[in-house]
Amino acid sequence: MDGRVTISELEKVYGEGAERTKAIEDLSFEVEGGEFVSVVGPSGCGKSTLLYLIAGFLDVTSGTIAVDGEPIDGPGTDRGVVFQDYALFPWRTVFENVTYGLEEDGVPKEERQSIAQKYIDLVDLDGFEDKYPKELSGGMKQRVGIARTLAYEPKILLMDEPFGALDQPLREALQDQLRDIWDDLGKTIVFITHDVEEAVYLSERVLIMTRHPGTKKTVTEVGLDRSGTREDIVTSDEFADYKNTVWKSLHEETQTEVKL
Amino acid sequence: MRHATSRRIEGLPAPVQGVAQTLVDWIPLGILVVLWEIASGTVVAEAVLPPPTTVSSRIANLVVTGEVFSHLFISLFRIGVGLGLSILIGVLLGIGMARSDPVENFFDIFLSMTYPIPKTALVPLAILWLGVGTEAAILIVFLACLLPIVLNAYNAAVDVDQNLVWSAQMMGTSDREMLYKVIFPATIPEIMTGIRQAVPIAFIALVSAELIASNQGIGYLILTSGQIGNYPTMFANIVIISAVAFVAVRGFEETRDRVLVWT
Repeated sequence: MDGRVTISELEKVYGEGAERTKAIEDLSFEVEGGEFVSVVGPSGCGKSTLLYLIAGFLDVTSGTIAVDGEPIDGPGTDRGVVFQDYALFPWRTVFENVTYGLEEDGVPKEERQSIAQKYIDLVDLDGFEDKYPKELSGGMKQRVGIARTLAYEPKILLMDEPFGALDQPLREALQDQLRDIWDDLGKTIVFITHDVEEAVYLSERVLIMTRHPGTKKTVTEVGLDRSGTREDIVTSDEFADYKNTVWKSLHEETQTEVKL
Repeated sequence: MRHATSRRIEGLPAPVQGVAQTLVDWIPLGILVVLWEIASGTVVAEAVLPPPTTVSSRIANLVVTGEVFSHLFISLFRIGVGLGLSILIGVLLGIGMARSDPVENFFDIFLSMTYPIPKTALVPLAILWLGVGTEAAILIVFLACLLPIVLNAYNAAVDVDQNLVWSAQMMGTSDREMLYKVIFPATIPEIMTGIRQAVPIAFIALVSAELIASNQGIGYLILTSGQIGNYPTMFANIVIISAVAFVAVRGFEETRDRVLVWT
């Protein structure tokens, strides 16, 4: 299984002269192929910047980001981003949004349709193919966003607080759906969130970042037994322990913020 | 401008409501026509302000004899070509300037300089270059309509959501493809706003150009009938071009709403 992301001595600086701000400093980290990693950190720690650097939307100031050993050069179809604000094309229907990447890839029409349908069914949106994004709720839009990114089959999913704008029951439903998709498809997932519970529930490892400039603070391995239901998992003692570990580490950072 | 359906008259069944609303919308115009009828020949001399009854019978006459149509078609042709060119070039220029610094640097000075010039002031120049007639009128309509379309397309293309551009990039869209696969569709609503602003401007520019110098068209009819003191015909032509312009604006709004089902 491919999809390994290697980040070495990464630095990202915005602006020049007096405006110069260092968003990320000396960050080295590796995400294994097929691994589900969450990134948490205080606001302004550069976690979204990190995601956009991996996506290739932003250029690194120094250091390297490599996918399967190959340094990245701009955006590529080996990586797919799921945006917090969905970023669907409003002039395209659900179906046309999901087929966009396949069109760009030159996949023949019939094949395009069957692949798109497969992913639309996967996120439970069958029957909504001909709707425009404005006709959908936030949760449905984000499911389209996920289907659109899965459809062109990137090895790595980069998710920027994808459920941040949704209410609690919907978040939980989509978290479970994402876990199932990860179990089925075995993609590498880098998941940005500010929600400790979400990070622990979803991922195998949690990267906690320091506040400004952001760098690696600690990494928590989450060795949860995920065979049971959501209720079994979130009410277990081990879940509480992992949550506390991550929370304490994150809280130290937030405290520094308050003192300043 | 609001749509007639945006307001409600309480306590009426739905089908009657639509009809009632239409009637209410036209009441102000009805009042004006009645006042005009009363004023004509009393407050103002009938020769200077012919009453609506006289004007409408003259309109009927112009329509029945078909006299007005050749001029109306010429006028509409000039508007169609002038507006069409301004949409084509305005969209290309607006998007080009928004997404490319060299293009912006090159054209910015021309647009900034021509912006405050009343386009009808250029009619004598247009005539000097192109002669009296259709080409000069098309040029004036084109110039007058260009700016609202460029400005709307430009602002929209500058403001295209960066995440949409990134989404397309991650799915393999090249920079050149980006212009017509993402930037252009994303700006369509504002381009429609620009065209909506340009349609009445096109009529204003056209009639002004035809009034200054032409040998055909509705503006020419207004001018010549006024010069020979045939005021009922002059008024009739003013009413005709106003009605046509009104229908054009409403027709465009209907089309726009149909095109923009996704907004």
